[in-house]
Amino acid sequence: MKLILPKNDLPDQLRSWRKEFTVYLPQKLERFSHFMPLDDANARILEQPHNTRIPPKALFLPMTEALVKFTRFGTYEDANMEISPRIVFGMRPCDAQAVQLLDTVFEQEQYTDPFWVKRQEKTIKIGLGCHVPCANGFCTTVGYGPFNKDGLDVLLTDLGDSFLVEVLSESGKTLFENLHEASEELLNQAKEIQNKAHDAMPIAFETENLKEKIDQNFKSDYWDEVSRSCLGCGVCTFLCPTCFCFDIVDEVQRQERVRNWDTCMFRIYSLEASGHNPRPSRVERTRQRLSHKYAYWLDQIGLIGCTGCGRCVSYCPVGLDIRAMLRQAQSLPFEVSHAE
Amino acid sequence: MPDINALRLEAKRVLREGIVDVVVGFKPGDSPLHPQPAFFRNEDEVEELIHNGLCKNNLANYLTRLPKQEKVGMLVRGCENRSVNSLIVESQKERDDLYLIGVPCEGIIDWRQIVEQAGEHISLVEESETLVTVHTPAGVNSFNRFELLHESCQRCLYRNPISADIVIGDPVANGSLDPVAQKVKDFENQDIEARYAFFQKEAERCIRCYACREACPSCYCAECFVDHNAPRWTESGATPAGMQGWHIVRAFHQSGRCTSCGACERACPMDIKMTYLTEKLNHDMREKYNFECGMDAETKPPFQTVTLDDKNRFFLGGGN
Repeated sequence: MKLILPKNDLPDQLRSWRKEFTVYLPQKLERFSHFMPLDDANARILEQPHNTRIPPKALFLPMTEALVKFTRFGTYEDANMEISPRIVFGMRPCDAQAVQLLDTVFEQEQYTDPFWVKRQEKTIKIGLGCHVPCANGFCTTVGYGPFNKDGLDVLLTDLGDSFLVEVLSESGKTLFENLHEASEELLNQAKEIQNKAHDAMPIAFETENLKEKIDQNFKSDYWDEVSRSCLGCGVCTFLCPTCFCFDIVDEVQRQERVRNWDTCMFRIYSLEASGHNPRPSRVERTRQRLSHKYAYWLDQIGLIGCTGCGRCVSYCPVGLDIRAMLRQAQSLPFEVSHAE
Repeated sequence: MPDINALRLEAKRVLREGIVDVVVGFKPGDSPLHPQPAFFRNEDEVEELIHNGLCKNNLANYLTRLPKQEKVGMLVRGCENRSVNSLIVESQKERDDLYLIGVPCEGIIDWRQIVEQAGEHISLVEESETLVTVHTPAGVNSFNRFELLHESCQRCLYRNPISADIVIGDPVANGSLDPVAQKVKDFENQDIEARYAFFQKEAERCIRCYACREACPSCYCAECFVDHNAPRWTESGATPAGMQGWHIVRAFHQSGRCTSCGACERACPMDIKMTYLTEKLNHDMREKYNFECGMDAETKPPFQTVTLDDKNRFFLGGGN
């Protein structure tokens, strides 16, 4: 189903959803955009081609959340899991794709994460395609694109004065009941915009055989080289829409068991109680980060664990660029024993 | 602007003559907005060496990360030179194991401002003493250089290297203390609620990625207080207590150890202001102890000068 939503009608549309939903949309926070709940006073859309600084994974896996409340006397109760129905408006396709990838982590047959699942169930995701491709993104390189539909209930295409509304699920359908069908002409216009955006994204590196190169060069000096200037901070992983690691901590004073975002780039992430650290330096940690995304995800679910959003490229404090690192990885030799 | 050929010649010379094992400088990144710190170990590699207003890291940071026994050459601006001095004072490196190539500095440009004003598709950035010219597919834009500088650089007091082995380029005018003092005073003059509200607003955007810590030359502890987990010393989460706790203790650990280089703010992915805290501490160091961090390689910061005959009575020779 493809409908037309005039941009002038959007503020009213957003307001009307607020009766039943908490509506999250990118709004300006200091100098960047951030998903925040819409309050009636400022129903306006941020007209900007950039992604939000913090990926919307944070709406499904918050930086910090209580899992269990306990007392000193050995009793405990589950943390409050009341989540009101939500709409996330303006999610970029790379970020929606990332949330869908994370379902394979948090919603496995054997183990499901009740917090993640509940938030997913209660959320309708309205995507906004990227008609102005970003400079550091590389979604097409990893097999997706600026108008990718995976993980979305609705995909919007900016047509200038209006949005083309592509309804992709039943729950998405209920949100847009009074709109007109899009004319053939507008459909063609949208197609053109989508194709143009897709074609404007250069291929940043070759993905064929990349996993094999990474796997086979586990002991290569390459890792030493690409991690030399790495500071060991958590920017690349915390801003990454597919990084999902967390640490569980008992906050005794608050009598809560909480989980916090954690990252393989931190020294204490892999530090064992004995004092041994199997990833003792930034070399091993950098190798872990890249290998996880471009080799281990493939081992586990057959897909690359990166959707090409480009945040790690934009915000690395020392300008390390995963695209350049992977191009360099492609120039590594296959393992000698493999070639024999 | 530094003469890049002269810098390369000197870097090559010190490598060729075996004066150093490595020269720490910058090389181009994939985008002109993001030059990368680089480690040059032979003359051929030095061809990649660049130095411009977008080189945003404090290279002294790598002194404690490189192998201890190595002789290190380093390109240093005013702040980096002082950070190196401060690390020598704190016994992190011997002066004899260093060769400092000084570069007078006209301030570091805030790349995020360029993106805000010219978009993210930047193909080339050109600089002069007064202008920054940015090339994009939409055209060419020129901006006032001073306005694009990071705040810490706008207020920088010591733009010239102070103890380099060689300085390449003409000295630039140093800053004056007035804007620094004024900035501190403006903050002090607000009432306590307003100051706390500002601190809260800044600290509570924190995602606890510790980029500020990792970018800071003075933060080299083998184990940071927030990483200590048996027992845990701080609130672990991205909660108000956790974020505020991190920011206030981080700042206090910098008393007399901060050169106001601003690397912490430049590294922050959430644009959190931090130097208003350290500038206040630096100001107090100046006013109360007549001390400025890193001005030489001998003088210890006031808070590192405890002796057994300290007048506080919890020391051996203390008063009553």
